[in-house]
Amino acid sequence: MNLTDILALALRNLRQAKLRTALTVIGVVIGVAAIITMVSFGIGLQQNIISNAFAKLDLFTVITVFGANTDELIALDDTMNNPSNVPSNNADASSNNADDDSGDDPSDPPQGESSPAASPTPDLRRRRLDDAAIAEMAAINGVRYALPVLMFQSYVRYEGRTERQRIGGALASVDYNPRFKNFLAGGSFTNDDAREVIVTENFLDRVAARRNPARRARRNQGPFSPAPVKSDEQRAEDAASAIGREITLLTLPSAAGPEPTSVFGIPLGLLEAGDQESGPDGRYETHVFRIRGVLPSDGGVNFDQFARTDLYIPVEQARRFRQANRDPLELMSEALIGDAGYQRAEVRVMDPTVVRDVQREITKLGFRSFSLTNQIDEIRYIFFVVNGGLALLGGIALLVASFGIANTMIMSILERTREIGIMKAIGGSDGEIMRIFFFEASLIGLLGGAFGVLAGWGTDRLANFLVNRYVVKQGPYIEFFSIPWYLWLGAIAFAVLISLAAAVYPALRAARVDPIRALRHD
Amino acid sequence: MPILEARSVTREYHMGAETVRALSDVSAGIERGEFVAIIGTSGSGKSTLLNLFGGLDRPNEGEILFDGKSLAPLSSREMARYRLRRVGMIFQSFNLIPTMTAQQNVTLALAFAGVARRDRRTRADELLARVGLETRALHRPSELSGGEQQRVAIARALANEPDILLADEPTGNLDSRRATELMDFLNEMRRRDRRTIVMVTHDQELAHNYADRIIRLKDGRVIDGDA
Repeated sequence: MNLTDILALALRNLRQAKLRTALTVIGVVIGVAAIITMVSFGIGLQQNIISNAFAKLDLFTVITVFGANTDELIALDDTMNNPSNVPSNNADASSNNADDDSGDDPSDPPQGESSPAASPTPDLRRRRLDDAAIAEMAAINGVRYALPVLMFQSYVRYEGRTERQRIGGALASVDYNPRFKNFLAGGSFTNDDAREVIVTENFLDRVAARRNPARRARRNQGPFSPAPVKSDEQRAEDAASAIGREITLLTLPSAAGPEPTSVFGIPLGLLEAGDQESGPDGRYETHVFRIRGVLPSDGGVNFDQFARTDLYIPVEQARRFRQANRDPLELMSEALIGDAGYQRAEVRVMDPTVVRDVQREITKLGFRSFSLTNQIDEIRYIFFVVNGGLALLGGIALLVASFGIANTMIMSILERTREIGIMKAIGGSDGEIMRIFFFEASLIGLLGGAFGVLAGWGTDRLANFLVNRYVVKQGPYIEFFSIPWYLWLGAIAFAVLISLAAAVYPALRAARVDPIRALRHD
Repeated sequence: MPILEARSVTREYHMGAETVRALSDVSAGIERGEFVAIIGTSGSGKSTLLNLFGGLDRPNEGEILFDGKSLAPLSSREMARYRLRRVGMIFQSFNLIPTMTAQQNVTLALAFAGVARRDRRTRADELLARVGLETRALHRPSELSGGEQQRVAIARALANEPDILLADEPTGNLDSRRATELMDFLNEMRRRDRRTIVMVTHDQELAHNYADRIIRLKDGRVIDGDA
């Protein structure tokens, strides 16, 4: 008797007890659906956090390099001038945010535990992060580019309102900044020194909300993000209407500070003739930028801290404005030790797999660095455990179903004892009888698994719809669930496996039916 | 050499605490081509002997030989093959699978023997034609008369061309006219195919009319071997 025959017999047996089969299958369906729903939620969460949020920002290919901060440089300077001094070990523990970051930049790693490549002990030989160092990093194998992180705060005037904004410097080339691949409207800078600005949708919405306070109340402050209830068309339209508008950066008159003629050898030429206007009474200067592009606010789980900069200007402009916006402390440290270099640099690698190699090289150059690679591994592991727990919960439902399967099979054997006896009498072997029942059970598992996956998918869709409709309410549609191929395949395989396990005892019992007793006429 | 032989066979059953000795030191031989009737009263052990011949059961002592070879060392799998290839059994209550048609009942036996799917149906129709049921092939047992059901059972028993047909009270559930019909059919089949038939019955007259030889059992012992 070949497998097709056994399959046909098993199918026939199931068909003969349709209701019982259906009820048993429903048990499996519920179990599998529970697994699918639970695990797909876990995986969905993982994807929202790791894949969507992080990958969107290309955080796997980026290494943040930290230069020596001004305190360290000052300590170094003191040591050199006075070698009898024992170098203090707490230099590294001091704040790393002496300048424009107001001490709260979350992308700075926690000290000392940032990554294995970060130097474990404070190192007074640490280098100044200057253009020469950055050029060395750019030359490391596997590095796509290395750029100083140019970020500063400035007062900005837009639509008649003035407020403090964090401003980032960015390259015109889209290849160099993956965040600039998708624009809601407009595009990237025409060149690296253009008087152009790229804003986020967030920024425009905030401005609009300020003008219309009713909308502000509807902004959701929860982890599941922001964004107005606007159609995509409306968003694009709003964004397009902002293109070409003016944003004005305000600075103190250049005379107010000791302006160096160059920064790291780059001639400043900050204030070209006719480039700036003076504010009332000449107490400050205004620099007009035009909006060149609008970046969409990311939907999904919002990691605000990674995307907090709402305004970007071309990198050369940013260099000069940062210089012009130094605070008195920075100016003081400059007076002590000269230029402190950049606080941070961003090194982007070609491929996430080389991150660690590149970090090693950067350490050799004398810089601490930080990448998310290790953290991602840890997050993955945590999710692995969480998903395992969720699968276990779902598995309990399937375990319950397995008792249903065993029960059904035993019923079926009791009912068909005579039939089993007949089969044996006409030459059916124990193995063949056993296989028929294993096939029946695995068919129940397969059916239950297939419908269970469908039911789980349906539950996911429904839950997703309801949560988006009634809980999240605003913003782009968030996908909370994810059913990758290995999940549905694994769930079906697991259901079949459980069914087979449930059929072991019944099948053995069927094989052991004594034909003489089974055929004894009543 | 007998094709089927029982050598000092004893078979005991445990019914709770007490032990029932169904067969006690029974020896009997069946020659090729013979029609042997085993007769005895209820509880004489005749069905037990037939089951031992049919490979459905094993003796506690003694051995069953087929074609001179003992069945004792056969594994349960080999025993199943023996039942499949060497012997065909028919029963008083026919033992057809009620949810299958006549044709399906016959093809099941062919399926166990590994006959290719496409050959099974023609072979089953052939067998059903041989028992005169070509028009009833697609009927279920419940739609067939007792005589017809028993003929389906015979077609199934013959499906894999066994050497021996073992019949356990084949006419027990039939009226006398159908019984005679069936016996005539078996007799004719035996003559035509030179098949060996062992039939268990309590009907002395039937045994005398058709059998070449009669083995009488009483209380698990052969009282008249006739040979």
